Amino acid sequence: MTPLVATPVREIDDDRERRDLERSWRSKPGLVGWLSANTHQKIGMRYIVTAFIFLLAGGIEALLMRIQLAKADNTFLGPDRYNQMFTTHGTTMMFLFAVPMMEGMAVYLVPLMIGTRNVAFPRLNAFGYWMYVFGAILLYWGVFTNTAPDMGWFAYPPLSGPQFSPGKRVDFWAQMITFTEISALCVATEIIATIVKQRAPGMSLNRIPIYVWSMLIQSFMILFAMPAVMVASTVMLLNDRTIGTHFVNPWAGGDPLLYQHVFWFFGHPEVYLIFIPALGFVSAIVETHSRRAMFGYPALVLAQLGNAFVAFGLWVHHMFATDLPQIGESYFTASSMMIAIASGTQIFCWIATLWSGRVKMRTPIYFVLGFIFIFVLGGLTGIMLASVPLDLQVHDTFFVVAHFHYVLIGGALFPLFGAFYHWYPKMTGRVMDEFVGKINFWLLFIGFNLTFFPMHILGLHGMTRRIYTYPSEMGWEPMNALATVGAFIILLGGIVFILNAVNSRKNGEEAGPDPWDGGTLEWATASPPKDYNFLNLPAATSRYPLWTDPKERVVVTGLDDTRREVLVTTLMDAEPHHRLVLPGPSIWPFLTALFSAIGLYGSVFKFSAYYVAMLGAFVGLVGWFWPRRREAES
Amino acid sequence: MIAQRTLDVSELPVGSVSSHAPLWWGQLMLALIEASMFFILLAMYFYIRLSMDVWPPPGIQLPPVRPATIVLIPLVLSAAGSYIASEAAKKNDRGGMLLGLGLNIVLAVLFLVARGFAWGEWNFNWRATAYGSIMWGILYLHTIDAVADVILTVCLFAAIALGYTSVKQRLGVHVDSILWYFIVLIWLPAYVVLYWGARFVGAR
Repeated sequence: MTPLVATPVREIDDDRERRDLERSWRSKPGLVGWLSANTHQKIGMRYIVTAFIFLLAGGIEALLMRIQLAKADNTFLGPDRYNQMFTTHGTTMMFLFAVPMMEGMAVYLVPLMIGTRNVAFPRLNAFGYWMYVFGAILLYWGVFTNTAPDMGWFAYPPLSGPQFSPGKRVDFWAQMITFTEISALCVATEIIATIVKQRAPGMSLNRIPIYVWSMLIQSFMILFAMPAVMVASTVMLLNDRTIGTHFVNPWAGGDPLLYQHVFWFFGHPEVYLIFIPALGFVSAIVETHSRRAMFGYPALVLAQLGNAFVAFGLWVHHMFATDLPQIGESYFTASSMMIAIASGTQIFCWIATLWSGRVKMRTPIYFVLGFIFIFVLGGLTGIMLASVPLDLQVHDTFFVVAHFHYVLIGGALFPLFGAFYHWYPKMTGRVMDEFVGKINFWLLFIGFNLTFFPMHILGLHGMTRRIYTYPSEMGWEPMNALATVGAFIILLGGIVFILNAVNSRKNGEEAGPDPWDGGTLEWATASPPKDYNFLNLPAATSRYPLWTDPKERVVVTGLDDTRREVLVTTLMDAEPHHRLVLPGPSIWPFLTALFSAIGLYGSVFKFSAYYVAMLGAFVGLVGWFWPRRREAES
Repeated sequence: MIAQRTLDVSELPVGSVSSHAPLWWGQLMLALIEASMFFILLAMYFYIRLSMDVWPPPGIQLPPVRPATIVLIPLVLSAAGSYIASEAAKKNDRGGMLLGLGLNIVLAVLFLVARGFAWGEWNFNWRATAYGSIMWGILYLHTIDAVADVILTVCLFAAIALGYTSVKQRLGVHVDSILWYFIVLIWLPAYVVLYWGARFVGAR
């Protein structure tokens, strides 16, 4: 292959290419066409919208809890309803909002940022989305039929075991996990294959945008973490409840602590696989809006990798209140504190970039600064909690609740809102209103701190989490009332965001391809991008291809535009290797998900329904992979 | 018409039956997912072992080693079928693919039947304490995995036999071998743990 710097200048017949691409990437019409869609922008957008709906659902559940706790001896929610609310809130936010939202953003953004037309496995992508939807239906079916889980989002046995949680509540929860994990594993697999093999020519490993790095790292974490939660929720918990295994039954050789170990072997990386994409958002926002190449790119990438590694060696710090040997606890204290090294490195890199760049104080930057403030506070309480004596004192109190909302909302939600403002122009073609955006930020920032800061103090005063009410003599009422006021300010912030998004869709300023003067490839194409993303696939002549001289830019020609062809490149240096025809739209991923879902729903009641799921998946996959004669001859 | 610096890729082949194919990577990731699951299960085995005083619990035999070892023979040999098929796929040799896949299917079915007999010799089920649960859990999940891959291989065999031998199907044959190698390889540590582990670490 010709080196990129020596490529010749040629005439390109862009009209013919556009015509061919429009035809080969067109979706099918009607409902069947809608269910068959498999382009990454459509699936990514569906993930984002669906996950946002569950953010609202989880938010409503949180508000109901805050109303209940606003005054002492309240009877707004009874104890049983309250249990269902906090469990559904946690479950929704972790499994139906945070992870799918991060996956959806990646499905939308990664192919654009690495300069290809679609993810490597478009049908798997569609299948994963539908599995997520069916899992969400399972949980909310429970919520609306008084079968919502009520044992806390991590479902510790023996409370969640057959003895103390009869009925189907825990089973619905346990099988819902399977759906969302399959969905996350599908996305992780396809994101890895896409990043590894479909990067623009010239995009060697050291030119991959930092956000894409963060998704590559996060996807590998998913591969190693998610199987653990499926083992915990279905192999152990569900089987103990439905077919009489004894994994967590201490009277028959099992051990409830084993469940905790396996669950947190997933649960701690889970936090990071929400948080690491958010670090990627922060990097993308910081470098674009300070119009400067990222300070310390290798350090930043290695720090993210370091975070990901250490994340797998931390899980026991969720279990300091169990009877673990002290040497083990010391090890996990040390490894928990180690996280501060990698996180600190990243924060220094961002600050250095902002410091030495020409920062435009737009809404995404506000959210990044809000993130740094909140996340550092959450990190400080994290260091406190990593020490066993302190952890034992505040275990299961509101201090812990405050800590993890500081790290999760600060660490993931603020960057996510920044990312919405940053990429909204790319996704819709219009810029969100700046003035309203800043109101949005301040409402969320003030509301957040008002809600969660008092919880630190409440926790130190001994208020335990997951209690549905408290007597007024405890003196917790004023701070709880304050937290409830804060929660409503967050709601107001959310409403302002939705209004801004809806209104800007119609009346926002036209964005054009590159409203922020960004340097990465997603800004090289129209906003919103066409189904085929780029008229001619771009090549990456530097880490920020759009910040190089336009005369130096290179595009790829010679792909057959009459079918869905993409370029496959090599692992390290992204040299062109071969052309690949991606599959077109198909109803079968939806049907495969539907058939599997029917069987998996049944397995909540009867083990043998798993075989229905397998048969259904088999029928679906045969349709999915049915070869067409034309291909055989070509 | 626009004039721009261009990198012409029209000379490149379409599709590739090799580790350069994205599907090869997808299949590798699938194997990693399943490997994490099995290693977690094996870790659970040891954890449960540590929390029980007598291993295996009273009234339960150790699983017989001999039949389980005989089962290994067709399992390991079946990987040769996968290898033959996958090499033939690279060379677009239809006969070789059919031979390899056929060999793989026959030996894999033989393996499954033999496993059925060996399994039948266990005198406990999944309800027999946590020991029974973990033993059955690991064996069941591995068997289901193997059955699924055999069915997949039969489908591939049918497609190739019917003359669908485009680069897509050949890549399918190639990556199918990765999954089968995985199923063979992951069983080796599992076999050692399930059948020898208890004997090494102070069983009756």
